[in-house]
Amino acid sequence: MKNSFDFRSMISNSWVQGAIPPALLAVLIIIVEIGSPGFLTGETLALLLSNTAVLFILATGVTFVILIGGIDLSIQAVASLASVILAQLLPSMGLLAFPVAIAAGLVFGILSGVVHVWLRVPSFVATLATGGVVAGMALWLANGRAITIEEGGRASTSWINATIVGTPVVVLIAIGVGLASYLGLRYSRFGRQSLAVGAGEPAAYAAGINVDRTKIVAFALSGTLAAIAGVVLAARLSSGSPSLANQLLLPAIAAVIVGGTAITGGLGGVGRTAVGALIISIVRIGMTFVGVNIFAENVVFGAVLIAAVAITIDRSKIAIIK
Amino acid sequence: MKSILNMEPKTAMRSFWSRAGKARRWRAFAPLGVLIVLCILIAIANPNFIEPRNLIRVANSAAVPLTLAMGMTFIILLGSIDLSVEGAMSVAAMVLVLLATNDSNANNYGWLAVVAAIAASTVMGLASGFLQTTLRIPSFMATLGVWFIGLGFSVYMLGGSAVRLMDENIRALALSRFLGFPLAVWIALAAFAVAIVIQYHTRIGRHIMAIGGGEDVAELSGINLRRVRIIAFGLAGFFFGVAGVLAAAQLGQSNAVIADGRLFAAVTAVVVGGTALTGGEGGVLNTLVGVLIVTVLANGMILLGISPYIQQTVQGLMIIAAVALSLDRFNLKIVK
Repeated sequence: MKNSFDFRSMISNSWVQGAIPPALLAVLIIIVEIGSPGFLTGETLALLLSNTAVLFILATGVTFVILIGGIDLSIQAVASLASVILAQLLPSMGLLAFPVAIAAGLVFGILSGVVHVWLRVPSFVATLATGGVVAGMALWLANGRAITIEEGGRASTSWINATIVGTPVVVLIAIGVGLASYLGLRYSRFGRQSLAVGAGEPAAYAAGINVDRTKIVAFALSGTLAAIAGVVLAARLSSGSPSLANQLLLPAIAAVIVGGTAITGGLGGVGRTAVGALIISIVRIGMTFVGVNIFAENVVFGAVLIAAVAITIDRSKIAIIK
Repeated sequence: MKSILNMEPKTAMRSFWSRAGKARRWRAFAPLGVLIVLCILIAIANPNFIEPRNLIRVANSAAVPLTLAMGMTFIILLGSIDLSVEGAMSVAAMVLVLLATNDSNANNYGWLAVVAAIAASTVMGLASGFLQTTLRIPSFMATLGVWFIGLGFSVYMLGGSAVRLMDENIRALALSRFLGFPLAVWIALAAFAVAIVIQYHTRIGRHIMAIGGGEDVAELSGINLRRVRIIAFGLAGFFFGVAGVLAAAQLGQSNAVIADGRLFAAVTAVVVGGTALTGGEGGVLNTLVGVLIVTVLANGMILLGISPYIQQTVQGLMIIAAVALSLDRFNLKIVK
């Protein structure tokens, strides 16, 4: 008699809602394992996790911005710029090239935040514009070409491609970034304040939170993590290029949303993004394993994306869906 | 000071609003001002800019972005976003090329292929509207999914290669001219006229503005949100389809990357023209100015010999400047 009502109250129950993305992840793993037994062996698992690492680091950065209710469309440009800087400086500076490339990400993240906050330009437009600025600079620095990291430079990047006790270092970096972001978001004052800003800006403002500073910090973190992702990607591919990360922007945002973080802000976190990133890459890699025609892969990916969002999104906390 | 205090509260309010209204009206012309200043500066730096041949070139390269941006304008007026531009465009181009005379199969449907192409893209738009209202997911994600589906579908149908368009009549859209301008420019202008009529003279246009201005108020005043949303996305799909046909005619073929970079170009044009991403403010006239700003800037940078590598940088700075000038943001408490 009350079937539909019970179903609804069950869905809106918060812990059930939180459990949906991991459940979806488990279902996807089982589907791929059935379609292609042996998927979960050590080697493919390591490959899957290393392929997820870069996407996850990017997605973690953009999680901070989405949590405050904004969006960052410049991450792929910042990651590409960092890869170009790394590839160019490695021969002359060695390991010091890493902090320089990452600092560039920090600077451009702060720039996005400042344009957004001080000029009061909506973050969608502000980061679209700073993304263009950064992409242009990367093209100019690299003279429009991809830069191969030569033998001399590879000595400094080999540690990223190594493994420690069977675990690829890339995965360890991603775990480190994830843990730091998780703890920062959960236990630092900035983390609390950014959730408050995302949930209701006027209320956060009235409660005495420095909204502008919180926003700039979120964009700075997004830029920094984007640069880290770019550096890791460059080291893995032994090349830096102004278009290296271009295909990663939308999958990164998709990972955040599929993980269950609300695009309107104030709800979600890094743990959810980790699940979302794994879902995205399992779908991507799983299709090859299950034997989907490569030309049709995007069709399946798009359909799964819509289905995943429809399943995982928490509608109880969003008043208006735009 | 005293006189203000002595004024009837109503009068004070009224004078405040009329002043705010005046400032707002001037702000609305900021993009047009930017466009005029830009044209003058480029013309001074390189007089070739105002030669008829170059102006025709500008008009020709504005045709596809203008048509696309018409569709995007309605979605942004709603307060939503449509990321499926590139998917819808590539599907339209693929359907057109495979049904008209081409070098891959024996079809020869002529103008019916054009109709089918636009219909396919319109159906995609309706589908994204239907999906997001039925599943209650944000337009950002629904249209992102539709983008991948459309792109994947056209790559699959084309088998990953480029197929040439050999129908002379359809190629003529790009090649033959009327009053000096290629037919594509006239079609883009026709699309613009259609968009103007829809926005200012139809009920659906009013409803889109109302929903963008305040969704809950629109709903309370009896607007069927779901229907308006689906129709708006269908409308956007229609314009994307026309743009896909024009792009295929201009390029003479269809391939997987025919729509690359069109999404951000369209959003940039709409936003630079002064339409607010929050919805309910701006319109297709703004978008015309925005498209012209972006196209004139690109053309001018080539004329001035600016390195192609930093053109993106200049365009980014331009977006920030145009938006900072044109949006009436300082009355807004929240900028997201």
